Amino acid sequence: MRKSHPLRRIVLATAATVSGVVLLLSLKPASDPASASAAAPQQPAAGQEAPQGGAQAAGATVTGDVAQTQYGAVQVRLTVSNGKITKAEAVQAPEGGTSDQKTALAVPRLNQEAVAAQSARIDAVSGATYTSNGYKQSLQSALDQVRAAADASSAPASSAPAASRTLTGKVAQTQYGAVQVRLTVSNGKITKAEAVQAPEGGTSAQKTALAVPRLNQEAVAAQSARIDAVSGATYTSNGYKQSLQSALDQAGG
Amino acid sequence: MTTTLAGGRAARRQTMRRIRPRRSPAVPLLLAVWAGALGVLGLWWHNTPSIADDNSRILNAGRITGLLAGYLMALVVLQMARVPALERRVGSDRVARWHAMSGRYTLCLVFAHIVLIMWGYALQAGRSLGDIVQQTVDSINQLPDMGKAAVGAGLFVLIGLTSIGGVRRRLPYDTWYHVHLLTYAAVFLTFWHQITTGNDFAVEPMAKTFWYGLYGAVTALVIWYRAITPVRLNLRHRMRVEAVIEETPGIVSVLIGGRKLHRMGAEAGQFFRWRFLAPGMRFSSHPYSLSAAPRPDMLRITVKAIGDHSARLRELTPGTRVWAEGPYGALTASRRSRGKVLLVAGGAGITPMRALFETLPGASGDLTLLYRANTTQDLALWDELAAIAKQRGARLMYAVNSPEGERPDISADTLQRKIPDIDRHDVFLCGPPGFAQTVFEALRGAGVPARRIHHESFEM
Repeated sequence: MRKSHPLRRIVLATAATVSGVVLLLSLKPASDPASASAAAPQQPAAGQEAPQGGAQAAGATVTGDVAQTQYGAVQVRLTVSNGKITKAEAVQAPEGGTSDQKTALAVPRLNQEAVAAQSARIDAVSGATYTSNGYKQSLQSALDQVRAAADASSAPASSAPAASRTLTGKVAQTQYGAVQVRLTVSNGKITKAEAVQAPEGGTSAQKTALAVPRLNQEAVAAQSARIDAVSGATYTSNGYKQSLQSALDQAGG
Repeated sequence: MTTTLAGGRAARRQTMRRIRPRRSPAVPLLLAVWAGALGVLGLWWHNTPSIADDNSRILNAGRITGLLAGYLMALVVLQMARVPALERRVGSDRVARWHAMSGRYTLCLVFAHIVLIMWGYALQAGRSLGDIVQQTVDSINQLPDMGKAAVGAGLFVLIGLTSIGGVRRRLPYDTWYHVHLLTYAAVFLTFWHQITTGNDFAVEPMAKTFWYGLYGAVTALVIWYRAITPVRLNLRHRMRVEAVIEETPGIVSVLIGGRKLHRMGAEAGQFFRWRFLAPGMRFSSHPYSLSAAPRPDMLRITVKAIGDHSARLRELTPGTRVWAEGPYGALTASRRSRGKVLLVAGGAGITPMRALFETLPGASGDLTLLYRANTTQDLALWDELAAIAKQRGARLMYAVNSPEGERPDISADTLQRKIPDIDRHDVFLCGPPGFAQTVFEALRGAGVPARRIHHESFEM
């Protein structure tokens, strides 16, 4: 039956909660250490799965990065035989409530489309836009791995690791978040471009899912930073180009 | 039993053998609650790889507040589920204070969560902070279960407003209570958006299972202890008013008869929530302490006519059906740790003290009752108390205002003078808040450790 001090209690509770939340937020790194370090060894791992294309003939599996959507994570696994996608499946997809329904509706269709298109240029399933975009994003990252593995195995075994190197551009800050590009360069050519960081969450996740795969392709195709911005994702595109240029500067220097 | 125990060492030893103080489970319970909160924060930590900019900082602050609010909401409801472990071991008064405190805190978290998440979404959509209302409308329209959640949030606003100190004092108790019952609807409505839009539950099936488990368990406990248990109790015991006795002006005793009342497990010092099925009284239940040890065929409550409800008790007719829920309260003999006991009662606070005075095991000279009232006419139940004191060899003292209306001096010094070994007593204290506070401080001054002052207070 100590004296109660309601005002003191309110001030204490508020201060403790606010400082606790701020502390938790500040302890989180600005970029994802897991994805950066996990992405790097994934490439050789994918390469190992297919030494000289032998295992690929038997059907190697490649798992894409996890794509976060508003309703949950999406992750795609591809089975590749002789450089062709023979099977696509979702290892993770949003669950719970209406998400279950949408996942059940969308994922099988997306799997079929992926096999049919042999690329990430597939149509979104209407009514399941977020899941579709997450799927495309993860699919693109799996396709990137397949191509990297193919390049590695087609190159002479001895020179492949020495000739290809990765260059990571500077972080470009945009209104919606940071963009950072990593290039894989083999024999002076960009063989792969990927975004290590890109805006996340809500509509940004959607735009990232839409823009980044296209920008990656464009960068490889153009072999320079003179690529077109993806309409509707201008900020991300510009950030991408900026970071891409800084990576190219490193390659040239 | 008291007749067979007449002083002496053997009797003392026999008394002490029956004293087995039970430790309150409050500390382990609070530790479990904190551990759960850390687990919830851990869930967020695990599912958040990085935070790049201010926008994600806002959104993640919204997620943290939302997760904590969802977790605490279940506990806030649990605190009012009338779980016997909480009501009888921790004490109904303490649990009610926890409920009020954590309820207010949880509502603050809910509102912080709404503002932060909508602000974050608005920024993400390239809108300014000013468009937060439009963003909220869009989110309610587009995201699953958000319509329900919005209705629930509206109910929370209403519940919060009626529970603000000043507003609550001006509202009739019944109005406040019935608005408060809407909490169940609000919790139900807001539950679903946590599962369908909460990132952590979509990614972690384990977390989702745990969340369903938490809310499912709380729902089961509420249904069991707030609905099924009272129905069974009242079907079994079928209580009715036997008689209404005016003890002193303004204080009435109600005798309640029923079947096998000893099987309810009520102890002296506990209370029931009573609902008298008489016109104008059936819609509200009120907590009143037993003023005598429960008998197999009879319970007695003694009530001071201060409010509407207690004033109407006087007009109850014998035969009126009674709906009771209980027993609740932790101010019982099990709190005691010493052989010697001082009971301090202020005004209507005599009721549980009267029952304890009669039943607390003790040898002659172990028990003392100090009874404070305004005048000697206000000393309700005095004759009974005197009879018990005589029979048990217990001390009975009273303190009333002087004829000039001066308050009696209850201080550390006077207490020590009257009861020289007061610091070796357990003290049970019941009375109006101001009185309880004064006595508590005097007792502390006289050297009684706080852990041996047992007190129940229903002030928030």
